Amino acid sequence: MFLTRFRVNTARPGARRLLSSPQAMHATVMSSFPTLLPTDTPPPDGPRVLWRLDHTTRAEVMLYVVSPDRPDLTHLVEQAGWPAAAAADPAEPGWQSRPYGPLLDRLATGDRWAFRLTANPVHHARRKDDEPTKRTAHLTPVHQMGWLLKRQETCGFRVLEKPDAKRLLPGGTTHTKQPHHGDRYELTVRDQRARAFDKSRSTGTQGGRRAPVSLVTVTFDGRLEVTDPQLLRRALTQGIGKAKAYGCGLLTLAPLGTAG
Amino acid sequence: MSVLTLRLAGPLQSWGASARFARRTTESVPTKSGVIGMLAAAAGIERGDDDRLWPLAALRFGVRIDQPGTRVRDFQTAHHGVTGKSMPLSERFYLADAVFVAALEGDHPLLAELHAALRAPVYAPFLGRRSCPPSLPVELHLHDHGGLQDALREEPWQASPWYRKQFRGRDEVELTVLREADAHEQNAADTLRDQPLSFAAEHRRHTLRTQVTCSVPIPNPSARHLPRHDPFDALDEESA
Repeated sequence: MFLTRFRVNTARPGARRLLSSPQAMHATVMSSFPTLLPTDTPPPDGPRVLWRLDHTTRAEVMLYVVSPDRPDLTHLVEQAGWPAAAAADPAEPGWQSRPYGPLLDRLATGDRWAFRLTANPVHHARRKDDEPTKRTAHLTPVHQMGWLLKRQETCGFRVLEKPDAKRLLPGGTTHTKQPHHGDRYELTVRDQRARAFDKSRSTGTQGGRRAPVSLVTVTFDGRLEVTDPQLLRRALTQGIGKAKAYGCGLLTLAPLGTAG
Repeated sequence: MSVLTLRLAGPLQSWGASARFARRTTESVPTKSGVIGMLAAAAGIERGDDDRLWPLAALRFGVRIDQPGTRVRDFQTAHHGVTGKSMPLSERFYLADAVFVAALEGDHPLLAELHAALRAPVYAPFLGRRSCPPSLPVELHLHDHGGLQDALREEPWQASPWYRKQFRGRDEVELTVLREADAHEQNAADTLRDQPLSFAAEHRRHTLRTQVTCSVPIPNPSARHLPRHDPFDALDEESA
């Protein structure tokens, strides 16, 4: 497994095209693997290519990719990077790629990490009894955090609870006796983005215009404790939740000290 | 020298320095005469009692704009309460949703007395006009040492949360300070006729006062910091 970091040059038209369409970005990321044919479908239970955009500040956007093979991002540097700077420095091709295996092997029960995850929190709802259920986005931070907390067990980690001194509510519980996730756990949710885009080619047999893909993504930041290294490795390499092709589901870890 | 700081916050404020007749304008910051008048009222100094007013008027005055507010115009067509006859048409200007920190520099005993008077005022304080009550307690702190400028630099930002929200991206905000000029600054200063001489009801008198404009950096308590998160840190730890 490899972890790759690429800084997007947001001033370039190519970058704007990629940042405005998760579908275009996905195609670009997928085409950075020479051994991967477009007709290949990933094995349902194996490692896959995951990517995420971190909008740190307005003009600083980082692309992170976790992949089974080492990627070649030359085309991305040409479209949305700094090609001249990359050519001037032979040691740095314009992106950084590192083996991810040592970190994955090192994970042990009880380790504490800071994490970041951009995900597509959804649930399935029906409005009437005789209606089929429909996948529906969670739109409030309470539900979005609840979505992650429901999954932490199967993903092999536990979001750390805040010490009482850092809480604003007694026991992290509101006056209506509801748990307040943001006050109870070391967890924040931010940067909610609602996107809708048309699939550029219609692949269905009907061939007509299809409804646009609509997507709500949020970014979670927090601290976790490893409860099951095997399950966490799976979550780190296979992603969490839906819309993994559209920049969701990539969980990354960082040492606690540097996260502040 | 001690400094007494005041927070002037309210839904409406009106500070006239050159308001005459039917057009009652407001300055964009509190005037010295308005603030001194408020303190004199809190201390129970009657109108026309110029001897007791004089030490208050001699205090050095400065004000910081924490939240500038917006100017609103009231076209007033009031009628007399008893006779029903129409009063002269007048325009009254107000500052809506503004917050200021005013500071007065002077001797400690007098300022301590005024600080106590604001907590138990003889006449209730108001923000330039009787119809403009303060929305929060007016008195902030009595600083025992340091000058006017230091007190205005140390006082935390008093702006409302909704206003501070616009500045979430900044760790520090630059707030404008208007204070009385030092002796060597007289040339660079503006003048304003708001130095009170007498508040006597039959003949209010004001003289000119010099004022300089500067700005102070104030830490922003609502600054939002994105947590630094770089997954490569975990890998670097590995290789180290």
